[in-house]
Amino acid sequence: MTNDTVAPAIESVGLTKVYADLPALHPLDLTVEAGQSVALIGHNGSGKSTFLRMVAGLLEPTGGDVSVAGWPVGEVPARATTSFLPDDPVLYDDLSVREHVEYISRLHGGNGFDGYAEDIAERFKIDDRLDDLPARFSRGLRQKTSLLLGIARPFSLLLVDEPFVGLDAPGKNTLLDLLDEVHADGAAVVVATHDPEFVERVDRSVALRDGEKVFDGQASVSEVLALVST
Amino acid sequence: MALADPTIDALVEMRRARRRKRIADIHWVDAMYQVYITAILGIVALVFISGAAGGTPLDAHGIADLTDRGPAVLGLLPAFALMAGLRSGSRGGPLALEQPDVRHVLMSAVPRSYALRGPVFRQLRSFVFLGIAVGGAAGLFARHRLDANVAALIACGAGFGLASVLLGAGAALVAAGQRIPRWLATLVGLVVTAWSVADVADAAPTAPMSFLGKMPLWPLQFDAWAIVPAVVGVLLAVWGLMGISGLSIEHAERRTKLVGQLRFAVTLQDLRTVLVLRRQLAQELPREEPWFGGGAYRRPPKRLVFSRGIRSIMRFPASRLVRLVILAVIAGFAARGTWDGTLPLVALAGLAMWVAGLDAIEPLAQETDHPTRSEGFPVDIGELLVRHLAAPALVMFGVALIAGVVIVLGEPNLDSLRLAGIAIVPLAMLGVAGAVVSALMGAPSANDEISAMLPPEFAGIKNVARAAWPPVISVLGALPFLAAFAASDAGQSPWSAAGAAAAGAVVVAILVGVWVRYREDLHDWWAASMDEAKQQRSAKDAQKAARAGSAASRPKAKADRSRPAPVDEADEDWDEDEDEEEWDDDEYEDEDDQDWDDDAEVEPDEEDADLDEDDGEWEEEEDADDDEWEQDDDDDSDDDGEWDAREDDEDDEDENAR
Repeated sequence: MTNDTVAPAIESVGLTKVYADLPALHPLDLTVEAGQSVALIGHNGSGKSTFLRMVAGLLEPTGGDVSVAGWPVGEVPARATTSFLPDDPVLYDDLSVREHVEYISRLHGGNGFDGYAEDIAERFKIDDRLDDLPARFSRGLRQKTSLLLGIARPFSLLLVDEPFVGLDAPGKNTLLDLLDEVHADGAAVVVATHDPEFVERVDRSVALRDGEKVFDGQASVSEVLALVST
Repeated sequence: MALADPTIDALVEMRRARRRKRIADIHWVDAMYQVYITAILGIVALVFISGAAGGTPLDAHGIADLTDRGPAVLGLLPAFALMAGLRSGSRGGPLALEQPDVRHVLMSAVPRSYALRGPVFRQLRSFVFLGIAVGGAAGLFARHRLDANVAALIACGAGFGLASVLLGAGAALVAAGQRIPRWLATLVGLVVTAWSVADVADAAPTAPMSFLGKMPLWPLQFDAWAIVPAVVGVLLAVWGLMGISGLSIEHAERRTKLVGQLRFAVTLQDLRTVLVLRRQLAQELPREEPWFGGGAYRRPPKRLVFSRGIRSIMRFPASRLVRLVILAVIAGFAARGTWDGTLPLVALAGLAMWVAGLDAIEPLAQETDHPTRSEGFPVDIGELLVRHLAAPALVMFGVALIAGVVIVLGEPNLDSLRLAGIAIVPLAMLGVAGAVVSALMGAPSANDEISAMLPPEFAGIKNVARAAWPPVISVLGALPFLAAFAASDAGQSPWSAAGAAAAGAVVVAILVGVWVRYREDLHDWWAASMDEAKQQRSAKDAQKAARAGSAASRPKAKADRSRPAPVDEADEDWDEDEDEEEWDDDEYEDEDDQDWDDDAEVEPDEEDADLDEDDGEWEEEEDADDDEWEQDDDDDSDDDGEWDAREDDEDDEDENAR
């Protein structure tokens, strides 16, 4: 087994997903190096979320292989390494935000609700809601809670699906800053988004169309808009 | 106890904290009272039914026949359980986890074998309780016909129930944990079941499940071989438990969403939604191509509604057809058992036909799922629904025919043939009738006129009666067997008694048809009557208030010296009436809103959601405000799911129809 400091953050070979007889992702070869930041772009149904969910281990590939830090997806080291922030926040109804962070961070080998978590909560301006139940939160607050959970735990690969949807402008800026920070700390970051503001900040953009890779490299905003609109 | 792995430690602490919160939220006195009432009512009902549902004890010939053929027949139950378990497990069942548990616990660094141990234990515990309870109750019922120790009958019945559920649940856990492909799970299940069916027909003795079928008959004849399948069941459960960490997360997440909606639908007693969600859970989709006559469906049909129904039925998936056949076989065995003197089986025969009916009425149910669409057709809704009855009736005649064949094969002679011939029509018609009533009644509402008139104490009884009477209608279809047995037992002609019961059942079916046709008219008439009564009452109140006002104004001059109030009091009464009127209006507005909501609550199905990843982006951005009204949206999301489920099914049907 490879060491996670040298192995690519993500390595997919011929990764395929077919729903019934409808292909969602054609065989995809993609390697994301450790510490790299990548924007995954593409129009609706292009296969971005499907790819992220397969890397996170939530979906099973129909074909091909995918590994995280050299470990097959789904194995304990891969799970401990990967933090996935979905576009649909999923939270317990009976745990407060603080309890969520405390337990979920520790489930991944973290320190629980520590100073870092408190700092992120302050930056998202949810520090006064830490003892509330997220069941009563708005979509935006739930999204912020989900981001807090995903970032406050230990990881070396951060997968984020449409993170800016549902966020207000200050929340979006905070998230952009946080993504820069975790990237600077050495984590690989893969974000599925159309937001040009984020695309400008990343090392690399990968565009998918109808489940196939159509672009891989450093894209300008105009290129991104062209890729998404066609 | 601190555990070595800190992640496991965290999981233990989290579950403990959640349990503490749940326990803190329980109102213990209420909970104890509910348990007490349920236990008392359950025991009383069981004892009463087992006492009332008698039957004559079997003679020596009957006992010999039972010990000879009974094990194979009883062995069908664990065979079906095994097949159902294998198929469910191949789709990720029987576990139904919480969605946050899938996302946060199963995706964490905690070993899945540890994380899943608790949920698996709880699920197994429920199955075990169910198996023991049902098996024990069956043993209690059997005491009327078997000259054996009652405690032994109950214990052996409970053991049989326990072993059956362990086989089913164990097979499901093994299939889920070992990722057995669906085709293989179905194949193994079919082989075991077919072997048992063949054993019943004396075509292939020594079916493995027939050995287990000997267990409930131990009080009559002990055979230690019955232990073997029971031990296999225990081993399967242990193997399943050990290997559950191999569970597919994709399946687990799909199930967790559907099971959440399913539980919500069950709490609402919305049978139709439960049925649709269960089909989605089982991934039971209509066929792309109809079984027969694909080309014919591309031509314009002559009888539109009937043709629509046939198209729907011709796209029934194989699993639904197999289920209909199994239900027909169960109905046939139960009817045969009733005719042979095991009277409680009449309920099983009727229930099997009712459940089959729920599948058969799919074309009609599609109309009721989408009332706004149906109301847009240029035909009276009652007439439309009556036209929809023809295709399901055709299916149910097929089901009843299979049941009839089973009845005749039970003891092939002219008497069996005559009885089956008499009973097929009522079985089919009331199977459809009960299912149609279930579908058209929909989920109960706390705001209907009848509930408003009843004292709150009767609301529970009303709901129980409401849920019970559709299956009761179907059970009426099996009464000819009961009548035939009773007449035969009394030394009278069984045929005339069965014929009379069949005629009565057909009348009931016709009455249900009339109800379907004029149901909307009756509702309209009732609503108009209630409105008229309210208006009359308001007018009377207004007159009364006016009279009180004028009467009060006369002594006012005199009364003014002592007290100034009478006119105000009258005005206040009037105001109160006005308030009441306003409140009523609000109520109607709410109902209108509800209708509107129902129409609006349509979302793309789950797979579409996966594929159309960016759909709804703009809507979500608009909803980005941080106020807490989202709580309402969250609540609605369950409703969304409910309609979502129905839409999915309809979409499938429509797509295929196109």
